[in-house]
Amino acid sequence: MKMHSWIAVAGALALASTSAQAQTMSYREAGALLAKSCGPDIRKYCGTVNLGSGKLIGCLDTNAGKVAAKCKTDFVAVKASLAKRAMAQQAIFKLCNADAARFCQGIVPGDGNLISCLVEASKAVSKPCNQTITDAGWR
Amino acid sequence: MTWFAVRGASLAALVLCLTAIGGGASAQTDLSNAQIVQGLQNLTQDAPAVTAASLRQAALDRATMHSGPASQRPPLAIQLDKLAQINVQIQFKLNSAIILPESYATIGSVADALHNPVLLGYKFIITGNTDTTGTRQTNLKLSQERADAVMEALTTTFNVNPARLEAVGLGEEALLDSKNSENPINRRVQIFNVGPLR
Repeated sequence: MKMHSWIAVAGALALASTSAQAQTMSYREAGALLAKSCGPDIRKYCGTVNLGSGKLIGCLDTNAGKVAAKCKTDFVAVKASLAKRAMAQQAIFKLCNADAARFCQGIVPGDGNLISCLVEASKAVSKPCNQTITDAGWR
Repeated sequence: MTWFAVRGASLAALVLCLTAIGGGASAQTDLSNAQIVQGLQNLTQDAPAVTAASLRQAALDRATMHSGPASQRPPLAIQLDKLAQINVQIQFKLNSAIILPESYATIGSVADALHNPVLLGYKFIITGNTDTTGTRQTNLKLSQERADAVMEALTTTFNVNPARLEAVGLGEEALLDSKNSENPINRRVQIFNVGPLR
């Protein structure tokens, strides 16, 4: 019994850590998935709106009841992934502040140097910092 | 079809050209992240200082001052060859700035490269280019709208810092193949690295 519960715990931990480590989609993957799953629906319902400024996703949202089921699932996933990435990119300087002070002394913040340094140090940085680097798509 | 060529080593301008052949979801966009990053990272010592305003003015000047067959017009006054750059083929609706779904992945690839830490400290100019079908003024306008649409997608949907990007429509003033000015290869979007953000 004891052994079983251990396996269950280990399994749950493994699952949790995989889902925590799961990367957000690359921007290319996000664009490709939208085109693949929603291309025909975009032509049909959203042919006059552009990709930027939330117009396309907004149009798909408006037409969510009409688009193919696969399109709906996938554009919702793309939207969530893009939002998660944007939040992670925003959060890095807050979540990695202590790590930056420790591992990246003297590096000028505000450009890519600090992010590169944190990515290089990512084996040693705190868990939340490491996770936000992953979610931001910076590895 | 995907091809790329490295032009003269001194220029080290890596030109990547990608054609998404119509065919909806099956259109391939096999431009690797590393290739784009490399193309945009190759800064040279003799690269001219380029601003969006100066480039826009150069295109307008050329369109108004030099008529005649495309193959005999002088080059654009600003030497863009020396800038680190990539060329991508983006598919738009006919006579419109609406980006077609088959090019979403390509724009995503550009966004991935612009988010790469090695490029985060740099500014870029996005140019739109047409072939010689249509009038030169119409082409300037349409290409500006298309470059704007690409920039809008990059800075909103794909979260690139807007302070890093500017868009310029070059119309038919910077043809890739001026001998065959209606060659579709001329219809392209270029991304140029124009130097450090600050």
